[in-house]
Amino acid sequence: MKSFFIIIKSDYLQRTRSYAFSITLCASLAIAYTFVPEPNASYSTIKIGDYVGFYNSAWFGYVTAIMTSIFLSLIGFYLINSGIKKDVETKVGQIVATTPISNFKYLFSKVLSNFLVLLSITFLVFLMSLVLFFLYHDDFSFELFQFIKPYLIITLPALFFISVIAVIFEVLFGKYSVLQNVLFFIFFSSLMVFTPKTDAAFSLDIFGSKIVIHELEETVRGITNAEKEMDLTIGYILSNAEQAKKFQFEGIDFPMSFILSRLLIFLLGVVLIALTSPFFHRFNIKEKSSNKKSKPIVEKTKINKEIILTSFPELRINYSISALLKTEFVLLVRKGNKWLWLFNVIGMILLAVLPSKIAHQMVLPVLWFLQVSRLSDLTTKEITNNTHYFAFTSYKPIGRLLISQLLAGIALMLLVALPLIIRLGLSSNFSNIPAIILGGILIVIFAVLLGILSKGKKLFEVLFFLITYANINRIPFLDYFGGLKHHPLFLVKLALLIFILAGISLLLRKYQLKK
Amino acid sequence: MQLEIQNVSKRYSKDKFGIKDFSITVEKGILGLLGPNGAGKSSLLKMITTLIKPTDGIITLNKNNIVKDANYMRKQLGFLPQDFGVYPNLNAYEFLEYMAALKGVGGKNLKLKITQLLEELNLMDAAKKPIGSYSGGMKQRMGIAQALLNNPKILILDEPTVGLDPEERVRFRNLISDLANDCIVILSSHIVSDIDSIADQVAVMKNGKLIAKGNPEDIIKNVNNKVFETTIDKEQFSVFKAQQIIVSTKRIEGKILIRYISENHVKSSVKKQANLEDAYLFLTKTN
Repeated sequence: MKSFFIIIKSDYLQRTRSYAFSITLCASLAIAYTFVPEPNASYSTIKIGDYVGFYNSAWFGYVTAIMTSIFLSLIGFYLINSGIKKDVETKVGQIVATTPISNFKYLFSKVLSNFLVLLSITFLVFLMSLVLFFLYHDDFSFELFQFIKPYLIITLPALFFISVIAVIFEVLFGKYSVLQNVLFFIFFSSLMVFTPKTDAAFSLDIFGSKIVIHELEETVRGITNAEKEMDLTIGYILSNAEQAKKFQFEGIDFPMSFILSRLLIFLLGVVLIALTSPFFHRFNIKEKSSNKKSKPIVEKTKINKEIILTSFPELRINYSISALLKTEFVLLVRKGNKWLWLFNVIGMILLAVLPSKIAHQMVLPVLWFLQVSRLSDLTTKEITNNTHYFAFTSYKPIGRLLISQLLAGIALMLLVALPLIIRLGLSSNFSNIPAIILGGILIVIFAVLLGILSKGKKLFEVLFFLITYANINRIPFLDYFGGLKHHPLFLVKLALLIFILAGISLLLRKYQLKK
Repeated sequence: MQLEIQNVSKRYSKDKFGIKDFSITVEKGILGLLGPNGAGKSSLLKMITTLIKPTDGIITLNKNNIVKDANYMRKQLGFLPQDFGVYPNLNAYEFLEYMAALKGVGGKNLKLKITQLLEELNLMDAAKKPIGSYSGGMKQRMGIAQALLNNPKILILDEPTVGLDPEERVRFRNLISDLANDCIVILSSHIVSDIDSIADQVAVMKNGKLIAKGNPEDIIKNVNNKVFETTIDKEQFSVFKAQQIIVSTKRIEGKILIRYISENHVKSSVKKQANLEDAYLFLTKTN
């Protein structure tokens, strides 16, 4: 048993002792800071009709716990869903495979280290909620239990379940990261849509947020004597919180069935991992893939005469970036399995045939999100493929290589959006085309910036997922491609943002290369 | 061609130096770089190849300060890193075209040059296959091909013979000798015999400092008349090891034949012809 905990500890330390994790923690703290808006803020996160709660301990505790449960479940999956993949890449897996550890123990150790990673972030968010309370509280007393209780009952079981799901997805769809992303997106959206009304049904809510939301609605309905359901909003909604009416929320006495259901989530996780264990490849991947893919090359004839360099033709100086651009584009296109292009083709057909509003608002962001693993790799592949020795010692790595990477990314985004652009052009709807083009450029530059900043892919993948989720839920603030109606200055703002982010990216890369 | 490294230091933290006050001048020919792990060889090569910048000191190539003007070095550089990667989805042609573009060379002869390099390096049969399916030796030859692509005037080779079979090693050594007529070659290797056979100059590093530099014969002079062979019982070995610098051992019928370096040899020892490996061990153990 001791060795089992040592495995978990080592895995946890390996993951958290990284620059990317530090950046993620900072991003989580920044997001957590927004969970309970500052009293004069122009947005709200949880609003029931025209009501928000008084800033007392219960409101801070429950709101941040729900937001953490939902947001960390959403982005947490992308943070932790490469634990096994990392062991494949580092070849530690080959050593693991030859030790006596069982599949179940290994996978369960991954679940627990996933859980610990999410817990670390949760702990910081929890501390942030305490800080926020002391910053904004309306002279209400501090009650620690009102903070601890919702985190224990709502957040922790949800995060454990996400830790389990991440491992199961890796076991079952390990080679297909895009498929994992799409399936989780569907899984998460389904859970969010689920609206239970009874105690028994609340027990089935994995995120545990629905019972709190129901209680909030009931409380407000009690004040307003409203018959019909309240208009409840969760997420970042533009509205002045100060102008909202206030109500007193005192927390919830969770029914015993609900508390038991939270404990059962832990048990269910263990059972699911046990059921998945037989399907784990145990790092026997090469043999499996070599049957289908190109086999390792067996060399045939060898020339053993001397290499005479003088017989080689002279090359001329050519600082044009066209060859770099071409290869960068080829690398983007060939990234991932070929059959995943089928999704792109389907998406492009949908862009051409669906009503243009749906194509623009729903299909385009999803289709662009499908390129996530391509974009996240754009400026990090030199490190992950260990080609940085060549790339960073090349002639003008910023002025030529980085620019060609940017252009290749933009070309890819515009290529997949082409049916919509052509369609809008043909119907003389020219006003939306610049927003789509700028949106494509912006997301590529965002990928470049976060890749350079975090030196990894995760941060961009997580944030792009979050942005896409917001796009599908039509949250105006994160609409970067003009899917919704905007102020006339929207395009100017987009262009300005592109300019700023591009400038920061170039400076950061320059600094990175200097260091 | 002249590469000058003047009082260069690379400090990683307050008291941790990768390189400390290192100076050397390298001219056309082959410089073999020897040193134990952690000696600072990789840090030095990274600074020469402009991957990292020194904390102090300057590096000049033909009087041009490459710390300030990295592109001057990059235009003339061929670099074979010790542990490099490739893009597995590209084939050999595509990868070398990409490398050529990175180096800023091209033109109508590019395809022909790539074909010839692939032929000479025995990669033609696999040229159209993804590099991800190549063996370790084939990848190493791809690395050699990319290093030669731009007719480099300065060629940095970090452990170049790793993964090559004995025949390929011989061909590669001859190739380097050929190249060195025209350019500076800096060759870092753990395999002393690789350096012994082709280096015009040898530099020995330890703890980030240069502890010896000269042609191989000069370096070997450090251990002339100090290399011996003797046979001892197994039981005596641990005591012997503590007292002498052991170069090699061989078990023969329950006894151990030992080659060692010493100022005061033990009785029944036979004096041996010193070689570069003896000198290297002597310098790194005694400095």
